[in-house]
Amino acid sequence: MAEITLVAEPGRTTGSAASRRLRAAGRVPGVVYGHGVRAASVSVDGRELRHALSGEAGLNQLLSLEVGGDTHLAIARSLQRHPVRQTVLHVDFQIVSRDEIISADVPLTMVGEAKEVEREKGLVEMVLTTLAVKATPANIPAHVEVDVSAMNIGGSIKVGDLTLPSGVTTEVSPDEVVAVAEVSRAALEFEAEEEAAAGAAAAEAEAALGEAPRAQTPGGGSGTTPAPTRAEEG
Amino acid sequence: MLMPRKVKHRKVQRGRLTGQAKGGTTVTFGEYGIQALEPGWITARQIEAARIAMTRHVRRGGKVWIRVFPDKPVTAKPAETRMGSGKGNPEFWVAVVKPGRIMFELGGVGEALGRAALERAIQKLPIKARVVARAHQEEVEVQ
Repeated sequence: MAEITLVAEPGRTTGSAASRRLRAAGRVPGVVYGHGVRAASVSVDGRELRHALSGEAGLNQLLSLEVGGDTHLAIARSLQRHPVRQTVLHVDFQIVSRDEIISADVPLTMVGEAKEVEREKGLVEMVLTTLAVKATPANIPAHVEVDVSAMNIGGSIKVGDLTLPSGVTTEVSPDEVVAVAEVSRAALEFEAEEEAAAGAAAAEAEAALGEAPRAQTPGGGSGTTPAPTRAEEG
Repeated sequence: MLMPRKVKHRKVQRGRLTGQAKGGTTVTFGEYGIQALEPGWITARQIEAARIAMTRHVRRGGKVWIRVFPDKPVTAKPAETRMGSGKGNPEFWVAVVKPGRIMFELGGVGEALGRAALERAIQKLPIKARVVARAHQEEVEVQ
């Protein structure tokens, strides 16, 4: 994985007001720590940060972080976001070493079509969307694929069934469920509603048919009009 | 309709709706969600109406998650009653929602169908809300 250079300006003023001013100026406040380096408050350019973390590796992108003349190998360990606007409010950079095994959350992506599940009108639900893996910074995969093409209703894929790239391990239990194939309750409810509606329509039609001969008898009165119309609608 | 099985206190004070949601601000279970943009009280009836709207729109397939629960009782006095004589009777239940909160999630459907279903559900809610996708929330947006 190629590193992306990011320049971090040290010595920013801490505090909410100063951080707000930084954000208004297009910068993102952050902190750098790890590997015995004294934690330092920094700020990075917002556009550069977005560019660095928008690649295939996402948040696990290896960064070459330049802080006041020093260059550190780092990853963006966590991003704080605004709850509504989703803009990045703060970023944590963790300094890492090339040969040190670190942990990272890797997204799980579904591949293949679960045709058997589709035929049964079910769906495949991803229970786990990220997997905590352990690897050297260069070996952290961009994503781990979950092949669902062989799934059946009631079946599941577990962590133990996943194929991890070489040099990548996980401490998540192999029995942890990643994906399940099921018929959702919403679908069952919808089918029950449809069946009930069909049953009601059939009953109405039968009732209308039963009333129809009576309606034709002389002196039927007001009962003549609605019966045929309802039967047509049903 | 959703309501607590048992409560410690039958009647509670109204409280204040300030600030933004502290948690539950990301799509976690499904692929798309409805995010509140305003604070408000969502009644159990509105939650049920929104659920039915999206379930009927997606027909079969799809799974719905309701991420708010109406655990706050709201009282009302009977019509044409003189003031006084204590607090009214509990009439309905509401969920307190603050901006940023993901209220519903939907999974197992395509993007067009999922967004259309959630837009229908938004029409049943008393506050401004928008549809958000899990795929987009990892994007790094800056001010």
